[in-house]
Amino acid sequence: MTQKNRLQTGGRINRSKPLSFVYNGKQFKGFEGDTLASAMLANGIDVIGRSFKYSRPRGIVAAGAEEPNAVMQLGATEATQVPNVRATQQELFEGLVSGATNGWPSVDNDLMGIVGKVGGKMMPPGFYYKTFMYPQSMWETYEKFIRKAAGLGSSPLENDPDSYEKINQHCDVLVVGAGPAGLAAALTAGRAGARVILADEQSEFGGSLLGTRETLNGEEAARWVADVTAELAGMKDVMLLPRSTVNGYHDHNFLTIHQRNTDHIADKAPAGQARQTLHRVRAKWVVLATGAHERPLVYGNNDVPGCMIASAVSTYINRYGVVPGNELVVMTTNDGAYQTAFDWQDAGRKVVAIVDTRQNPQGAQVAEASKRGIQLIKGSGIIDVAGSKRVTGVSIAALSADGSAVNGSVTKLSADTVATSGGWSPVIHLAGHTGSRPVWDEKVAGFLPGPTVEKRLIAGAIAGDFTTAGALAQGAEAGRKACAELGMDQPIIELPTTQERVEHPAMTLFHIPHVKKTSEAPKQFVDYQNDVTAAGIELACREGFESIEHVKRYTALGFGTDQGKLGNIAGMAIAAKATGRTIPETGTTIFRPNYTPVTFGALVGRDRGELFDPKRYTAMHKWHVENGALFEDVGQWKRPWYFPKAGETMQQSLDRECKATRESVGILDASTLGKIDIQGKDAREFLGRVYTNAWAKLAVGKCRYGLMCGEDGMVFDDGVTSCLGENHFIMTTTSGGAARVYEWLELYHQTEWPELEVYFNTVTDHWSTMTISGPNSRKLLEELTDADVSNENFGYMDWREMKVAGVPARVFRISFTGELSFEINVQANFGLHVWEKLFEKGAKYNLTPYGTETMHILRAEKGFIIAGQDTDGSVHPYDLGMGWAVSQQKPFSFIGKRGMAREDCVRDNRKQLVGLKTTDPSVVLPEGAQGVFDPKAPIPMPMVGHITSSYWSANLGHSIAMGLVKGGLDRMGEKVYYPLADGRVVEAEICSPIFLDPKGERQNV
Amino acid sequence: MSDTKNVAIMNQVPDAAAGVRAESPLHHADLGTVAQKGLKSGGVHFREMGLLGHLTLRCDPKNADLIAAAAGVLGVELPLKPLTSVESGSTIVRWISPDEWLITVPNDQSFDLESRFRAEMSGHYSLVNGSGGMTLFKLSGDRVVDMLKKATPVDLHDSEFPVGKVVSTVFAKSGAIIRRTGATEFELVVRRSFADYLWLWIQSASQEFGLVVEA
Repeated sequence: MTQKNRLQTGGRINRSKPLSFVYNGKQFKGFEGDTLASAMLANGIDVIGRSFKYSRPRGIVAAGAEEPNAVMQLGATEATQVPNVRATQQELFEGLVSGATNGWPSVDNDLMGIVGKVGGKMMPPGFYYKTFMYPQSMWETYEKFIRKAAGLGSSPLENDPDSYEKINQHCDVLVVGAGPAGLAAALTAGRAGARVILADEQSEFGGSLLGTRETLNGEEAARWVADVTAELAGMKDVMLLPRSTVNGYHDHNFLTIHQRNTDHIADKAPAGQARQTLHRVRAKWVVLATGAHERPLVYGNNDVPGCMIASAVSTYINRYGVVPGNELVVMTTNDGAYQTAFDWQDAGRKVVAIVDTRQNPQGAQVAEASKRGIQLIKGSGIIDVAGSKRVTGVSIAALSADGSAVNGSVTKLSADTVATSGGWSPVIHLAGHTGSRPVWDEKVAGFLPGPTVEKRLIAGAIAGDFTTAGALAQGAEAGRKACAELGMDQPIIELPTTQERVEHPAMTLFHIPHVKKTSEAPKQFVDYQNDVTAAGIELACREGFESIEHVKRYTALGFGTDQGKLGNIAGMAIAAKATGRTIPETGTTIFRPNYTPVTFGALVGRDRGELFDPKRYTAMHKWHVENGALFEDVGQWKRPWYFPKAGETMQQSLDRECKATRESVGILDASTLGKIDIQGKDAREFLGRVYTNAWAKLAVGKCRYGLMCGEDGMVFDDGVTSCLGENHFIMTTTSGGAARVYEWLELYHQTEWPELEVYFNTVTDHWSTMTISGPNSRKLLEELTDADVSNENFGYMDWREMKVAGVPARVFRISFTGELSFEINVQANFGLHVWEKLFEKGAKYNLTPYGTETMHILRAEKGFIIAGQDTDGSVHPYDLGMGWAVSQQKPFSFIGKRGMAREDCVRDNRKQLVGLKTTDPSVVLPEGAQGVFDPKAPIPMPMVGHITSSYWSANLGHSIAMGLVKGGLDRMGEKVYYPLADGRVVEAEICSPIFLDPKGERQNV
Repeated sequence: MSDTKNVAIMNQVPDAAAGVRAESPLHHADLGTVAQKGLKSGGVHFREMGLLGHLTLRCDPKNADLIAAAAGVLGVELPLKPLTSVESGSTIVRWISPDEWLITVPNDQSFDLESRFRAEMSGHYSLVNGSGGMTLFKLSGDRVVDMLKKATPVDLHDSEFPVGKVVSTVFAKSGAIIRRTGATEFELVVRRSFADYLWLWIQSASQEFGLVVEA
């Protein structure tokens, strides 16, 4: 049997189900029920990575989420790579492939190790700030080196083949943690009939009970756990979520749970199954029963593989049947870790000694140790560890009564494993996510959750009661409290009997002193993942970083994927001592989501690929696809961009579409334009207040163009609004601005002018809108309607109701091309029918479909603006030369009137929109190009405005452009120069933006 | 007083004789074929109820005259309690917001209804035909709640979301008006331009339960 550390019996593993796995390219065996960590320890794998800064060999320290070192790269294929997986939380499955995330070129022989060794002095805290930031230009080079050398895994280079799920949940009580406290709380609430979610990060419920040999009701604890779990599973409104980490506790009792559905089954999820699920939970009440993490003590060379947390050693023995070594030394400040020595001895291996920092520990555990013949060394501590890739021995010295100094000679003992306990830290992370500051408790010697505004209760070890009996009672009580708050029954559940144990008082000690002062002693690690030492924290304090938040950022204490779960408290204690303060005076940094890393896949869910963002389609979309359109995104809309014919370049398509429209007739799907139906007797007044121009006299049957400004007087949208009835208008907006304009109208109506009798309704999707434009558009329309559409009966800027191709329609004579145009609106269910009929009749007029690009060119030939392209939030109507669209005479003010009268808005030399004609007519200026008046001016040249729209005009035979130019409206005929990135300087003359048909005769026929 | 002279209303539905083809927002998805070729049993059932008449009424719920007039036209009282609906024959009235209701009827009845409102109800209100811009999805099946939970943050538990309840809410990255019509039956009113996105989304989210398309 190659699993040299595996026990023959015991534990919650299935020895009849062997599983093979790969670590760093080698095959190993483990059993069903193992974690990757327990299987590695069973196989005697000591070094599982290299440390971040000093590149020291590191081993497994813990057995749960707090593990700082065993952060692995997982994945059998490139596509299934997952970085940052804690081996202690990854269940073993057949064929699992893992590797160390850091260690270059390998964990056993690491080049950086040499740097690390000489780097003891070279790499003090703040190292990156002090060294690598200067010179700034070298940072990228340093960064690559550091990343490669340290690294915490690599992301896959191929697409993730798995699918992920996101789901919303609601409950009365969310219980976090299914240890004794959580189970008791859930059972109580469940029996009351509450909707309960019970989530636990482990593969099975039981929490602390899983790693001990404690009994409940005189039987193994698993029995009670199984009974409670079975009862809960039978309740209709109880949801049990194992393998589910509650990662974030957000405001208003919104919590996120990361459930791993198949990570324990295979490298890739079985077909049809989501690999992980992110639950988004709204809980009326939350019970945090998150337990506690045991704190390791800080001592010399405490990072050598073989140095572990005492309770983790017990867990490996009791839960996984793995003894992670042969000769154990225990160092403890409390009674708890004695059990680890007993577990070790019962597993048949040698306990070298228990080193107790207390001067005179008494009680049952001490008696038991004595009975078992275990050497007990009182009032002492392990000050140093020998060994590099595995512990080979320990140095032990007597300590002063308060533990602050060594006061005896040093004894050396041979050992390969050191298990330490410095007490327990309640797992308060979630409790702090919403901003509640933890509170130090002397008796617990740890931080407890502080007061909160959330509807949150705590129970068990998180509340500072580390006994099983206390956890059970507090859990049940929290369940009843939640039920009482919810107005439900408060059932009393029968609690199992526990084993009582009278404990000798623990000693509050975090940092074991050395004979040398800390700065000269062997490295004493506080935060393994970030290589933060006790000496480093003291140095930071000496250098003036006194606030714990500054110490954190300067030393990196508590950063990383483990977020300082093990080291934070010891680090704060050391900082407190160094600055002569108490721990509560020093305070703690605050925890943020997420508790453990969450995959991007789980956060994304199915919102990727085709479903990344909604794609909005018009009723004619299928026709556009079938007729070869290329599409452009306009907001979420897919609008035809242009319709290339075989062999055409884009410019050739545009030239053809532009000419066909001006010479005969073109058609545009304008359905995406925002449309807002406005009804009420004050509709007209309301329009006058939100548009800059006048609406009082617009007659029924007429249409008018309007500009809409923000309070600052800057244009934010435009469009045509038509008077359908005396109290009835339809407003059009830009395609991308529709929702914003609708909200704008509602905002002003609801908050400023509720007395106006008006209602708004969005009807964008209701109407299919098709614009036929060009000299033959009337002839085409006449073929499909009986209505009189002559200029005499149906003039420019009028609208009429008529049937088009048998479909009732509203037709508007408005034009964005400057040509004779008819905008046909029909209920969208009949849109494609009408569109196809237009093409049936349009063939003889060469009816040509065009997209947004030709629309842009045709309107630019006419100098019509596009809000959002020719405006950018800093342009008012006068800047656009559109003062004609502003009525200063309206009895009531309008939005933007005062804004555009501000001193800055009426000064000279503002950037103004003008036309620009390049001296070389073949050159098309790039949009965004910056202009200057003097191309020979020294750099940086004074910039005078940029090109907003620029095209080749096939109809005019030269390029056309619009742009903002300082004082442009007063500079007609002057030259502007555009120095381009490729070195060219393009000369252009300022002109009117109306390049074609300045009198507007074409649209008015 | 008739309101017709101040507001433009139009029968937007062509005469049957005109032979005009109508296409619902999911017409392109050819659900008839999908229904024939697809699963016959599964946890989620889907059907598009296209080409209904959708009318949005907005008025002041505190104005007893308006509320009475609306009830007279509709034949049922407007639901004034938030998030509720009433149903009478093929007419369904959904509370949307404190001054807004969505009425669905067969599309060929929408102009009649609109005309009767304008003839019989005076005062300040708006009535807008949005039939071309909406469609209705019927979703049902044993797992329909599990599927819907993926898309909407609203609590669908029967204690919070009984039959008849209506909410206008987030659905995936779009929106929907969700109404419960039975223990395992819901209807969603969605906008035309988003219909294809939502149909793709529902297909994906229903895959694990088996999706039965009806037509």
